[in-house]
Amino acid sequence: MGLEVLVVEDQVLIAFHLQDLVEEAGHQVAAIAHDADSALAAAASHRPAIAIMDIRLAHGTSGVDVARRLYEKHGIRCLFVSANINDEVRRQVADLQPLGFIGKPFLAAEVIAAVQAAAIAIESNSR
Amino acid sequence: MPATPETLILNVDDNEPGRYATTRILTRAGFQVLEAGTGKEALRLARSASPQLVVLDVNLPDMSGIEVCRTLKTDPATAGIMVLQVSATNIAVLDRVSSLSAGADSFLIEPVEPEELEAVTRALLRLQRVEAELRRSLAEREMLLREVNHRVKNSLQLVLSMLSLQGGEFREAGARELFAKAIARVTAIASIHERLYQDTDPLSIDMQTYLSGLCAELARAGIGDERPADLRTDIEPLRLPTENGVSLALIVNELVMNALKHGRPADRPALINVSLRRLAPGQARLTIADNGPGMSAGQLGASGKPPSGLGSRLITMLVRQLNGQLHIEHADGYAAHITFPLQAPATWDSKS
Repeated sequence: MGLEVLVVEDQVLIAFHLQDLVEEAGHQVAAIAHDADSALAAAASHRPAIAIMDIRLAHGTSGVDVARRLYEKHGIRCLFVSANINDEVRRQVADLQPLGFIGKPFLAAEVIAAVQAAAIAIESNSR
Repeated sequence: MPATPETLILNVDDNEPGRYATTRILTRAGFQVLEAGTGKEALRLARSASPQLVVLDVNLPDMSGIEVCRTLKTDPATAGIMVLQVSATNIAVLDRVSSLSAGADSFLIEPVEPEELEAVTRALLRLQRVEAELRRSLAEREMLLREVNHRVKNSLQLVLSMLSLQGGEFREAGARELFAKAIARVTAIASIHERLYQDTDPLSIDMQTYLSGLCAELARAGIGDERPADLRTDIEPLRLPTENGVSLALIVNELVMNALKHGRPADRPALINVSLRRLAPGQARLTIADNGPGMSAGQLGASGKPPSGLGSRLITMLVRQLNGQLHIEHADGYAAHITFPLQAPATWDSKS
């Protein structure tokens, strides 16, 4: 069956690439969002199990803020995939039980492994 | 030089006549003046009003003016404020030296001639302006650098995503493999950028994480065979100058792709070993070995004639670039050894 994954990424090409990798890892993408509003709307309607989160989103919105709202409102944890991962970002999201951090340009193998590890973490938690 | 209206000076003295005199001289010179009678008040005003200069008496009722100066200069928020220490009593050489050692930018003995106070004030304000300008432009540069770096990484990601999406369009195995090889080559070059900036030292690269990541990527790339290969890495934590690091990564990429394509045994699972070890003294050796059928005529370096194909040309060229030597072994399977000199990477001092 696999997990429902929300991809929050403002570059549509990268979002499609991530979608391919999520599927290669044996899961599905529930929705693709490009900014804070679309991410929150998608989370409310699709109830994804996890999110893949970019840090710099469209319309000047921040993935850190979106991640916090997803976590506080729906308990959704994020795998951060961004060219902007640094100690500051790690600190800001430390209390949101992050599923991992992957820098861009990412290795496909890295994303697949992280999604698989996230699935195990989520499933063992919900049991 | 006319005093700009936004030039603000904080005058700190508990002695009222002295404070009045200083304020009068500075006000007449065209500066805006704030006053404080204690060290605590001086620190509070320095933080809230951000003056360009503090004229600071050494003897204050609550704390020493030297201590006030030290506090101002160690707090990044107030370190850019110039401090002119003044005193009528603590004027021995040692007093003046300890004031300047605590961070004061100048010292004047009271009573001060109005012309001298004004001239020293203007000199210190000149310095303050230059320093503030330098700080501003440095912060701007850092911001620009971060922005450019973000753009580079994002653009490389877009290139890789584009290639990968396009590669997925092909159904025919040969075309898929050609695309997989192109993606692997671009990945070897691009993925160094993911590591460079988050590292403290952008002039050299840690080969352990870089090569392990690339090998993990190649194991699933679908080259030679759809089955993933057992790719084992044994890479010493070794830093190479960034240029050499990219060359070595491209060599690893080509040799591993060769092994995936030609080095798979028919009767057992494919096993590819990648190792990078330091050899004493000042040399390192990269080895890529498989358990496949070994060399067949026409493969890299066989039969003494120059090898053809982009992969072979790349390997020859890159090994030469590293001043390295390529040695092929056909004991059990096929093994390529590349021995190359280690240059000390240029050291990077982030404070310089």
